[in-house]
Amino acid sequence: MSPASLAAAFSIGLLLAVVFFFLFTTYNSVVALRLRIDKAWANIEVALQQRHDQLPNLVEAVKDVMTFERDVLERVTQLRAGWSRSQPVPAQAANSAATSAALRELFAVVERYPELRSQDNVLDLQNEIERLEGIIADRRELYNDQVYRHNTRIAQVPAVFLAGPFGWRPREFFDADETADERPDVALPTG
Amino acid sequence: MPFTADPVLQLPALAGVAIGLGILARGMRGHIVGTRIADTATSTISAIAVGEVRVHGVVEPAELTLTSPLQSAPCVYYRARIRASREGDDTVFQEERSVGFRIRDASGSLRVFPRGAQWDVPDRFSDSSDWPAGLRLRSGPALAPANPSHEELVAQLLTVRPAGGLAGVPGSSGGSAPFAGGLLGASRGPRHYEESRLELGDEVTVLGRVLPFGDLEDPAGADVDEAIGGPLAALADPEIAADIAAARAAGLLEGSAEEAWGNAAIPGFGIGRPTRPPELDRAANPLPIATSDDRARFERTFDMAPGTLVIAASDEVPLIIAAGPPHQVVGRQEDRLVVGLLGALLAIASAVVLAASLSGMIVT
Repeated sequence: MSPASLAAAFSIGLLLAVVFFFLFTTYNSVVALRLRIDKAWANIEVALQQRHDQLPNLVEAVKDVMTFERDVLERVTQLRAGWSRSQPVPAQAANSAATSAALRELFAVVERYPELRSQDNVLDLQNEIERLEGIIADRRELYNDQVYRHNTRIAQVPAVFLAGPFGWRPREFFDADETADERPDVALPTG
Repeated sequence: MPFTADPVLQLPALAGVAIGLGILARGMRGHIVGTRIADTATSTISAIAVGEVRVHGVVEPAELTLTSPLQSAPCVYYRARIRASREGDDTVFQEERSVGFRIRDASGSLRVFPRGAQWDVPDRFSDSSDWPAGLRLRSGPALAPANPSHEELVAQLLTVRPAGGLAGVPGSSGGSAPFAGGLLGASRGPRHYEESRLELGDEVTVLGRVLPFGDLEDPAGADVDEAIGGPLAALADPEIAADIAAARAAGLLEGSAEEAWGNAAIPGFGIGRPTRPPELDRAANPLPIATSDDRARFERTFDMAPGTLVIAASDEVPLIIAAGPPHQVVGRQEDRLVVGLLGALLAIASAVVLAASLSGMIVT
């Protein structure tokens, strides 16, 4: 092999190596992005589950005193029952947003009951749920940021060329739809 | 086909191929690091969960701080180097050290255990002259308590040290320097000084694995990292370790801390609460033995609950600590990639020149 052929082979090999490096790192980075989204979502679910577990304790602690505020208690209970980890992301997002709104209303009502505000267990539960609400908000932001990075990446060169063959699709944001802010129509039980 | 030998052209061309490939490899590494940082969203510290995370905040001291060798600045990481000339590789002094620190964002703070971290900290000081402005060689110990007591501050203030000395720098005209004679002085010409460091209050981006403090295998070991220079780094050298073992075997060095230091090796002895009875003279007042709670506290080394989340390096998730906000860090890594691609062009051009020279198309 002549020196010129060797130099040509070296140059072409190096260029191919650089191209393969970019394809390889792009594939790996998209796989890592998808796993990060899954992890971010799992972390949201942990926080949602923790809030889900605390809600009955809160309702139990305040229901005897808040005899005239049954609608808000009923709403919290119904929303809790309506949440399931197997629901799609938008449905869980809508449920989470509605639960947060209902809890804000509940805490506002609790402020009107001095006898509740003087109970340590109610205050502890309120603090714990507010802490969980903060964690859910932060983790939702992290999840959405991660989804944004993923969706942007697979729409850009060179990942866009790999998206088709590997079946990469944009992921859904943790975002409540328009109906999430609407007040659910809850029928109060009679009797 | 016969090859034409022309070392004047072929050796530099070969060097060009090697250097170009080296620059390309560095750029590729930078791209991998940059992509990892760019693809990870920033977590809020108060809502952080176990696993790989990226956090961004400012550096706060933990228990200890470092003093940088060339500018005596309090910091948590430094890499310092003195060379005989700017271009040459004749290093006179080199040291890289770090201590554990906290990173704080708007929601809280997180303890960082830096052992094994990849640091990306640009130079803060880079100068070549006899005694450049800004050079303030460290004259005391490298490690200092982060929150010194009133007595320690008074002692520091009253301690007089010879000016211009740097412990461990051959020839620095300091009191603790092992070699006197002024290698850093004007008689030996200018030197090149470089120092990069991460100071308290600096903005920093950290990417690594968050885990409960109780799951950290070796908290004390993970807290101090001496990559180059320093006594702990020296112990990692197999030759030095073999010398130490030989000295122990020859009886020149004690076999254990107890043999070497006696009562002082007992945890808590220094503060009058030893965890086991010390050997004292009969006339001496006996010391109260530490309670089980105290003992547990001394042995824990860090006053941190086992469930507290910390960030550290792991085999699966390398720890990256980089100065500046994430976009700046990614920008620096992408710059390295561009330089790396230029390195590929250099390698190709050098290979073409080498081939032309070997086939006799170019002759010097």
